[in-house]
Amino acid sequence: MTSTTTPAARPSNPFTAPVWLIFYSLLALVALFVGIFIVLRPVVVLPRITLAPGFRLTDQTGAQLSNEDLRGSITLYTFTHTGCQDNCPQTSAVMAQVQARLDELNTGDIPVRLVTISIDPENDTPEQLAAYAAQLGADPAVWQFVTGSPVQIKSVVGGGFSVYYNTREDGIRFDPAFMLVDGAGLWRAEYRTAVPDVDIILRDINLLAEEAQHADGPSRLAYEAAHLFLCYPR
Amino acid sequence: MHIDTRERNYIVLSVLLMLIFATALMVSAFAYGIQVPVPYERVDPRTVATPGASPWGNPVEERVRELAPNKYEAYILAQAWVFLPNKITIPKGSSLTLYVTSKDVQHGFNIQGTNINMMILPGQVSTLTATFDKPGTYNIVCNEYCGVGHQTMYATIEVQP
Repeated sequence: MTSTTTPAARPSNPFTAPVWLIFYSLLALVALFVGIFIVLRPVVVLPRITLAPGFRLTDQTGAQLSNEDLRGSITLYTFTHTGCQDNCPQTSAVMAQVQARLDELNTGDIPVRLVTISIDPENDTPEQLAAYAAQLGADPAVWQFVTGSPVQIKSVVGGGFSVYYNTREDGIRFDPAFMLVDGAGLWRAEYRTAVPDVDIILRDINLLAEEAQHADGPSRLAYEAAHLFLCYPR
Repeated sequence: MHIDTRERNYIVLSVLLMLIFATALMVSAFAYGIQVPVPYERVDPRTVATPGASPWGNPVEERVRELAPNKYEAYILAQAWVFLPNKITIPKGSSLTLYVTSKDVQHGFNIQGTNINMMILPGQVSTLTATFDKPGTYNIVCNEYCGVGHQTMYATIEVQP
C-alpha cells in the first residue's frame, strides 16, 4: 500500500459542493441585486448634504421665525435684499414662479414653505420686507421674508449655507443661490445660479415628499440603498 | 479528492482575504457611510477664466472669500505654471474650502506637510475642505508634471497666528 489512503478511509469533508454552492449563489444573488439596483435605479433620492443651519430671525410681520418652526415642512431658501434692482440677480422672481406653481406639486400633507433671507439687515426692516412681499404678491402663509442682525445673517447665510455676499459702499454683491431643506432639517439640494430650472426645483420637492411619505418600514431599506448607491436624479 | 496541505492553506487564505475585504467594504459603506468620490462640478476649461463666467473669472484678489468668520473659500485656477491666487492668507483655526480647476493641462495640488493632495484636471473641479489649526506658511506645490516650468509652480497659504 502507498501512503495515500483509499477514498473510503478519508474523513468526509463538509466543505464540498453543497455548502460552497449555497455560499457562492448567495453572493451572486447579492451582487445581482446590487447591480440591478444601480442600473435600474428603482428609487431616486436627493443627497443629504448636511444639517441645515439653525436660526431665529424676524419675519416681515415682526414675528420670530426659527428653523424649528419649519420642521416638518419642505423649505426652499433664497437670499436677496429689497434694494436689488438692475444688474442684480433676481432671486425673488424665481421664488414667485415657484410659488405660482406650488399647486402642481403632489406633496400630500407635507407643507412647502418659501423663505427669503435678507442679506442687507441694516436697511431691510420688517416693514420694508412687508412692502417688498406685497409688491411680489407673496402669500404670507407660504412665503416669508426674514431679517435679523448682520452677525446672525452672516452666520446663517455665509456660515451655514456657504453663500458669499458682501456689503460695500458701491453696493451689495451676492452669489444667487437657492437651497432646499427637508422636513427633518437636512439640507438636500442647492442651486447656485440666478436662473435655476423651476421644473427641477419642483421635481426635487416632489422627491423629498415622496421619500418622507414612503421611507418607513421595509421600504426604508430601499431608500437607504438609494442613498448608499448614490441614486441621485440626473 | 486529495488537496495538498499547502495548496489548501492558500485556498483558505485567499477566500478569507475576500471575506475580510467584503466585510471591510460593507462596514465602511453601511456603518461609516463612506461613499465613493463623485464628480463635483464640470466646467468648460476654455471659458472658465473669462471674467463673469465663473468664480475663477473673478479678479484674483476676489477669489479668496470670507464666507463667515473663520470660514473661507478659495477658487484657485491652475495654469502653466502658476496657481492664481498664489498667496492665501487666513487666520488660525479657519476652515478653507478649495475649489481648484485647470484651464490648460493636468496639474497637481499638494499642500506640503499635510495629506491634502488633489489632481487638477481641465474641465473638472477638485474640491476639499481643510481646517488650518497650526499657524505658519504652507507651500502648495504642483506634483503632476505639467511642462517645462513645472518646478516653478507653487503657491502659499499663510496661516496667521
